[in-house]
Amino acid sequence: MAPPAMLRIEADVARLRDVRRFVREVAPGLGADEAAVLDLVQAVDEWVTNVIVHGYRGAGGPIEVELERVGDEIVARVRDVAPAFDPATAPVFDPNLPLERRPAGKMGIHLIRELCDRFEHRVPAGGGNEIAMTRSARPAGTETGGNA
Amino acid sequence: MNTTVDRVAPDVAVVALDGELDASNYRELIETGQQLYADGARRLVLDLSRLTYMSSSGIVAFHSLALVFRGQQPPDPEAGWSAFHAVSSDTHEGARGEEVRLVAPTPAIDRVLDRTGLKRILPIYPDRESALVG
Repeated sequence: MAPPAMLRIEADVARLRDVRRFVREVAPGLGADEAAVLDLVQAVDEWVTNVIVHGYRGAGGPIEVELERVGDEIVARVRDVAPAFDPATAPVFDPNLPLERRPAGKMGIHLIRELCDRFEHRVPAGGGNEIAMTRSARPAGTETGGNA
Repeated sequence: MNTTVDRVAPDVAVVALDGELDASNYRELIETGQQLYADGARRLVLDLSRLTYMSSSGIVAFHSLALVFRGQQPPDPEAGWSAFHAVSSDTHEGARGEEVRLVAPTPAIDRVLDRTGLKRILPIYPDRESALVG
């Protein structure tokens, strides 16, 4: 079995376009349909943005993005060596709030939860963070059914 | 992302966004809007028909511009939740303002607007003409 496709970048918002390009190029080859590719591009972009801006606080650091097919799902993993942060501890964003009472940011985690089937965090042995964002490769029931 | 500003009237500006709006360029869009407001624009029409991708940073930019065009200070996006406090008891709270109008989002952009609740806050028009006369 081939190793997961991987992209390594230095934490910099200017590299976000490269991260999106990586997901757009690799995910279809893993069997992701168009909707899955769009969701994974956005989810990975949102999390990597979070790492760059809040994890490393703009100071830079390494980020790895990995894509892998596992069964009927695509798993996108993002690793960093920033201080440990479990997104499950982030306040829940309420999209129904009026303009004046909405937080300025923090919508990324809300979007990832909407876009992915699972969103899991762990602290690797050497520290930092590994996030796994899992999304079904295509709608249920179409796995053997052609181009639906 | 390229932005094209069309000052269609002394108090109305149309800004067309072409490309991808993300954390690398959303601040420039806020600054463009702040400059237009300082120059007398009181209505901002954002043409999204050529915007191909938008992350939640774009939502932060639209949110900030909506506040700017209501005469308020945009929040500091870096401050995140710590900046989240009940901003005065503005009489317009909860009202859907008409100062900033969105035009022709593609399905991919529309999805982000929907999932973040922005469609309930900013009006969306099918084309520039309807946004300008509405």
